[in-house]
Amino acid sequence: MTDLLEVRDLRTWFHTDRGIVKSVDGISFSLGRGEIMGLVGESGSGKSITGFSLIGLIDRPGRIEEGSSIRFAGRELVGLDQGALRGIRGRDISMVFQDPMMTLNPVVRIIDQIGMAIRAHEQVPDAVIRRRAVEALARVRIVDPERKVDQYPHEFSGGMRQRVAIAIALLHRPQLVIADEPTTALDVSVQAEILKVVKALVAEMGTSLIWISHDLATVSTIADRITVMRRGEIVEAGPVREVLDRPRHPYTRALLDALPSRSKPGELLASDATEAVGRLDPSELGRMGAGAPADPKFIQMNGIDKLFARPAGMLRRLGMSLGIADAPAQVHAVKSASLNVARGEILGLVGESGSGKSTLGRILCGIIPPSAGHVLVGGEPVTQAGRKRDTRVQMIFQDPFASLDPRRTIFQSVAEGPIAHGLCTRAEARAYVERWLRAVAFDPALANRYPHQFSGGQRQRIAIARALAMRPEVIVCDEPVASLDVSIQAQVINLLMELRRHLNLTLLFISHDLSVVHHLCDRVVVMRHGEIVETGSASDIFQAPKQPYTRMLLDAIPRLTP
Amino acid sequence: MSTAAATGSVSPLAQFWRDFRRNRVALVALAVVVLIVFVAVFAAFIVPQDPYDLKSLVLRDARRPPGYVGRDGMLHLLGTDSQGRDLLSAIVYGLRISLQMGLMAGAIAFAIGAVVGCSAAYIGGRLEALIMRIVDIQLSFPAILLAFVVAAVLGQGKEQLILALVFAQYAYFVRTAHGAAAAERQKDYVQAALSVPMGGWFVITRHILPNALPPLIVVATVQVASAISLEATLSFLGVGLPATEPSLGMLIANGFQYLMSGRYWIAIYPGVALIILIMAINLVGDQIRDQLNPRLRK
Repeated sequence: MTDLLEVRDLRTWFHTDRGIVKSVDGISFSLGRGEIMGLVGESGSGKSITGFSLIGLIDRPGRIEEGSSIRFAGRELVGLDQGALRGIRGRDISMVFQDPMMTLNPVVRIIDQIGMAIRAHEQVPDAVIRRRAVEALARVRIVDPERKVDQYPHEFSGGMRQRVAIAIALLHRPQLVIADEPTTALDVSVQAEILKVVKALVAEMGTSLIWISHDLATVSTIADRITVMRRGEIVEAGPVREVLDRPRHPYTRALLDALPSRSKPGELLASDATEAVGRLDPSELGRMGAGAPADPKFIQMNGIDKLFARPAGMLRRLGMSLGIADAPAQVHAVKSASLNVARGEILGLVGESGSGKSTLGRILCGIIPPSAGHVLVGGEPVTQAGRKRDTRVQMIFQDPFASLDPRRTIFQSVAEGPIAHGLCTRAEARAYVERWLRAVAFDPALANRYPHQFSGGQRQRIAIARALAMRPEVIVCDEPVASLDVSIQAQVINLLMELRRHLNLTLLFISHDLSVVHHLCDRVVVMRHGEIVETGSASDIFQAPKQPYTRMLLDAIPRLTP
Repeated sequence: MSTAAATGSVSPLAQFWRDFRRNRVALVALAVVVLIVFVAVFAAFIVPQDPYDLKSLVLRDARRPPGYVGRDGMLHLLGTDSQGRDLLSAIVYGLRISLQMGLMAGAIAFAIGAVVGCSAAYIGGRLEALIMRIVDIQLSFPAILLAFVVAAVLGQGKEQLILALVFAQYAYFVRTAHGAAAAERQKDYVQAALSVPMGGWFVITRHILPNALPPLIVVATVQVASAISLEATLSFLGVGLPATEPSLGMLIANGFQYLMSGRYWIAIYPGVALIILIMAINLVGDQIRDQLNPRLRK
């Protein structure tokens, strides 16, 4: 039997004003009928562009170059006009995108979206559309499909929207589905369910699947074969077990070694990036918390409650008193949460989206005042009359692209806090900032540049330097590695571990990634719907979880070993 | 991902200029604006006659057509007005005053609007609601009406007119600044500054304001053009500048009565100058707006 898809020397280049960007540069692979291929790579590897090239969704200035060939079911796709491609797209090859919030039209009901997708290739009456829409939703295990088809996307959760997107992709029983990071934006438990549904469906329909992801573990649970891409080229390809157990290319090996789940908790991760920039140099950093007496209740958070509610305006209050308007909706983000953290401890705070973990972190940092309860660090409150009192607690944010002011240089961003709080004078600022940049292995000579000139990993190290320069005793880390590639993630985790060891910092590490938490943290707090469900040492939680919710979270982690 | 790799060492400003150059119309408009500013600044060295020097006016040469050579041998390229003033000189000086008014009023309204709008967005709550409702009420009146009332109450004079223009226009800046700043306020880098903690004034002036600037710059170009036309309107109606400092609006008003008697040039040429100035500024503003709009970015 011949292969369904044969890609030969595919080159997709972007001809920009600043030169040619070779996003995909001469890759070849083939895919059999019913086969599942995992396409793995870090950001910028060209894996998504490969997916878009296959269904002809490359826009100018991008172009599939001469000499490239994509043979699909015996037909050459390169060079086909848009009309012919439209006939194939959705019917023979379909695609599932990363963000389910963006792919469904928010003002169109689900049944009409499915109807449009069906009528793109078939002429069918309304009654048939309805029957097939209900079938499609039932197929992706959406409960009560009869009622759900008439709803709008905002009435669906993220995971359900992604199921709808998958249902639409499978409507015409395509021969090939390309899924571009379809579970990256979802919680682990939802991701596990989607993986299960997709795996069952493609097996049942005999559809071939290309699953694009940055996460080797996710891919290994679904794919038959793995193809690893780097800088627009394929560096390694083969059956899953072979690639994972006996990686031949050093890049694949480095990717695997950087995974926290593959090394012993508390040890430094293997990271080329860490080696490239050198180890932490603690000699110049002073002592900070080092030498401070042990204090098992260094951080005390007691009975923290947080209600988010918009104040009712005048008209709304009038309406409420007449009984024709409701009180503004309230969100109870944190419900009577209490926890203690010892000095020098790394406490992991885990939970799914909406669990209130970020809110709790921001309350500890003093950015958000709690509705009730109090926060003490070293016996003293963090806030006074709703304002932050001092600089003992600092914060590192999830997205290093958003947490640095794009219009201020690295030096200005790092120096503003220490100058304002008298940690250094304006004259000393240059030397002071350089010292902290060196501590996080960032070249101080680059301090006069703007954030947009740096990669995510570099920016996150700048953000860490900014927090450290305030000489804090506690750092709240809000998903600091969630948006980073695995190799960079390993580097940042290593940095945090070294800093804790040398500076006796106390860290609150907020994350949805349990393997990272297992590796880094001494104790773990599990949150759900604003409440603390379970607290315990990392080894207890991961080896003998008491609560069913914790167990469910642990079971949902995709693992490399089958 | 491809852009990250391609973003070399080109500074944002250089890139901005490179994109700007691509639009021929905007480039011509920019050249016109630069030329007008140059002419206005060095007016005294360029024009054949000082229109404020009453001694140099020859009343017998009044209302002469373009190309007329005066009794003192002076060539009146665009003709003369009802007092025998060289029209080209009067237009250049008129442009100078119009530009002055427009830029001064625009700059002051910009400063007020940026600070008030950003502060309102930062502080929030009742104060924000109060400021924004005042602005809303003001925006519901035509700008010309507000400017007319203020100018009429304050009387004639440059300072009074600028005040009237600022009063008519600052609300647009507040609205724009508030919208942009409210979006920036939510971003992580502002949260990061607050977590240090940095003071409110620092966060407003160093973080929020610089990031809220792009839409303000666009509004500024439009508002400078509209301030110039507003000033011309007020002067035309007689509540603007005193007759001793004729702006374009007053030149048009002076020529208006001769328009039907065949002496078109007295009103038409200042009008053309006004149109060219406003159009050029607006075209430059449009191009800046397009370039700052990420949706239209290639």
